[in-house]
Amino acid sequence: MGRKIIDIPLGSQHISLLEPIKFRFACENEKIVDVSSDVGFVHRGIEKACTTKFAYDAVPYVVARICGLCAITHSLAYTTAAESLLEGVVTRRAKYLRMLLVELDRIHSHMLCLSHTAENAGFEAMFMRIMGDRESVMDIQERITGNRVQFDYVSIGGVNRDITTDIEKEIRKTLAFIREKTHGYLEEFTTNWSLSLKFKGVGVLTLDEAYRYNAIGPLARAAGLATDVRSETDYLPYNEIGYEMRVGEGGDIYSRNIVRLFEILNSITMCENILGGLPEGEIQTKMKGKPTGEALVRLEAPRGELMYYIRGEGKAMLSRVRIKTPTFASIPAFIEVFKGSEYADAPAILASFDPCMSCTAK
Amino acid sequence: MKKIETTLESVVSDLTAFYDYKVWEFLTLNGVAIDEGTTEIQWIFSRYGAIDDVVIYYAPVKNSETVPSVVDLIPSAIISQREIVDMFGITVENSEKGLYLDEDSLSAPLATCRI
Repeated sequence: MGRKIIDIPLGSQHISLLEPIKFRFACENEKIVDVSSDVGFVHRGIEKACTTKFAYDAVPYVVARICGLCAITHSLAYTTAAESLLEGVVTRRAKYLRMLLVELDRIHSHMLCLSHTAENAGFEAMFMRIMGDRESVMDIQERITGNRVQFDYVSIGGVNRDITTDIEKEIRKTLAFIREKTHGYLEEFTTNWSLSLKFKGVGVLTLDEAYRYNAIGPLARAAGLATDVRSETDYLPYNEIGYEMRVGEGGDIYSRNIVRLFEILNSITMCENILGGLPEGEIQTKMKGKPTGEALVRLEAPRGELMYYIRGEGKAMLSRVRIKTPTFASIPAFIEVFKGSEYADAPAILASFDPCMSCTAK
Repeated sequence: MKKIETTLESVVSDLTAFYDYKVWEFLTLNGVAIDEGTTEIQWIFSRYGAIDDVVIYYAPVKNSETVPSVVDLIPSAIISQREIVDMFGITVENSEKGLYLDEDSLSAPLATCRI
């Protein structure tokens, strides 16, 4: 008898998915032997809109709408690129406030991923606990920026709001609360037998595959690839606030969870250091002129490297805005991980990638 | 950011000589409409562990020409090759249409030059 291969779709709408993406798994019995993907269900033409509908100084607020989770990173990557073309200098206070928001974004984004990974392993109570705790981070983001998601906080030249002593106290209180909770999650994710059964040795990306498929973010670091844009660029002074790269081993779901948990703890420390060393000064620098030339900026979003390439011709509208998002770049690596895995593990593996289709389809 | 000009005829051999997958991260393929009917195609790389060491290979491409695929050398390039096909209406070897756009969508939305 020959091999019998059957096609099983996952998505575009599926109980394990937060957003629409479609995978078609070719399976031999329970084992996935080949994968194809369709990622463009929520394409909104944002790159086109940025060069035809909005002037360059309005674009930070447009790109903040690409993603509800990493809106700050999108607007910051764009503004950093625009500021380099305008040859403007942002104050140190504005840079510190930008880093504060980027790291708060990372904390709640990683918490969302961990909660869904637990949910996909059947641990509903853990999902509820983490999502409940995550609300406190959203609350302080609202206090700082005025919004829970899609913050219009970063603008060309700096940031739009300063923090007060009262807000600083609230942030410190929330960070202490989240640190305590994260230590609890860490114990659960490392010692819970059910979670170990579902996560250890499942959905493995080897170090060589991580290099070969250009894996980025926690997916790469969990496989042992020491890459993080926070240590490979100098737009933001991460070296002053206690940034540490966490590299895992094993490249499985378990390792990705542990990397994210340690990154939450490091982000909490960095936020505390930002508040402790927040420089005095203005939060906005006036920048004149129209962008001329081309600039490329990379930032570490919660899911990995985010890249903006912009080109201006001295006009109000740019001639090109290119956005490369972390999930988009990771799709080939995702496909490689699925190959050889059990079909039953596919939802948990997918959740551990922390995919963002709003970013991907843009 | 360092830019290196190449051509469609030599890009595969240029990238084969340049690209060591444990040294360079392939960021993406990019397109920029430079005049009516011509697009600058860019293959963008950054060096692992180095501060802002970005290299861009670029080639001007007439919209009637076929861009060679680099997927044999860089497997992760497949997704951005498909994106370029949709967004600029350019033919890229072994890269099918339909990543983002449906059959009845506006074709090649980024191909129009605004300069």
